[in-house]
Amino acid sequence: MEMMIYSIVSVKKNTKKLDALLAGIKGLSNTDLYVVTLDEIAAVVSDVNRADLIVDKSSAIEYAGVIETLAQQFTLLPVRYGSVMESTDTTKKMLERNYNEIQCNLLKVENKVEYGLKVFCDSEKLKTELKDKSETEPAIELEQGIEKSIYSKYLYKKLKEHRFEESLLAHIDAIIQNITTHLAQLNSIHRFKKMVTETTIIDVVILLKKNEKEGLIQAVKELQIQYTGLKFVLTGQWPPYNFVDITIK
Amino acid sequence: MSENKILFNTGSLDEISEEMAKLASKEESRLELSPENADSGLAKLVLTIVELIRKLVEKQAMRRVDGGSLTEEEIERLGETLMKLEMKMEELKKHFNLTDRDLNINLGPLGNLM
Repeated sequence: MEMMIYSIVSVKKNTKKLDALLAGIKGLSNTDLYVVTLDEIAAVVSDVNRADLIVDKSSAIEYAGVIETLAQQFTLLPVRYGSVMESTDTTKKMLERNYNEIQCNLLKVENKVEYGLKVFCDSEKLKTELKDKSETEPAIELEQGIEKSIYSKYLYKKLKEHRFEESLLAHIDAIIQNITTHLAQLNSIHRFKKMVTETTIIDVVILLKKNEKEGLIQAVKELQIQYTGLKFVLTGQWPPYNFVDITIK
Repeated sequence: MSENKILFNTGSLDEISEEMAKLASKEESRLELSPENADSGLAKLVLTIVELIRKLVEKQAMRRVDGGSLTEEEIERLGETLMKLEMKMEELKKHFNLTDRDLNINLGPLGNLM
């Protein structure tokens, strides 16, 4: 029978606590959850028939719910939705082949959880503010008095846009620098993408010790006070979805 | 996202949903090639790359102008070249029924091309 893997859990050679937890929860399509163990790690799985598997949003949410419940009590590596192994034997062999990498990743995320921080801006308002500021600065030298051709005028218009774009990016980079400095003070590991959309100036994922939640909330509150024109949205706690660096062999 | 997962937010839930929808639509902007749309898909791919190169050329040109090392004649010629390139690009976009928004590709973990 094929099996779906939900996550790989650090059990430290004791699966009793995990077995007890699994007895109270169900896998996709109300299936029973059980473990395939290898030394200090265990893969949480449920039987699945690939042909009957319905891949949709509600199923993905259900899958994430199982990982979420496990993550509340165990250090784990979430496995990508839809990962199916052929049998208990192939699952065990996979754990064997990747044992060291799995242990390394489990160690990295031990007693830590993931948070998401998104910072949104009103892009039009931000551009207007910067435009107002740039207009008080010395204008581009256009050699006043000399009649310009349409090509020169076009080029200087482009130059003005280019300078504005550069100042906008510099402004955003300064904000990002400030945010990441705040996060670094919490001894967190973070990864970010900047300017994901015109209004999302930074999208950060943060890995932090479970007991440092309040410190993070406080840091975000302080940033919000500093940047009243921006909107900070902090979410969590999530299993460490973005901090598993492993390519399964 | 369930409400209890939001630890800090100064806006409303509607505002968050709106922003999340924008992020989701960005994720969806991948290049889709299939037997049915091979022509338009290929045009989109080619024009995206052309537009990327045009923008890089434009940026490099702006840096040179900003550096102040160009003569009036060079500025004139550069302006003419860039203007004609932009006009030609607009013509091609119109011909293949593409917008600026179409000329971008989501490269997954690498983010957007432009």
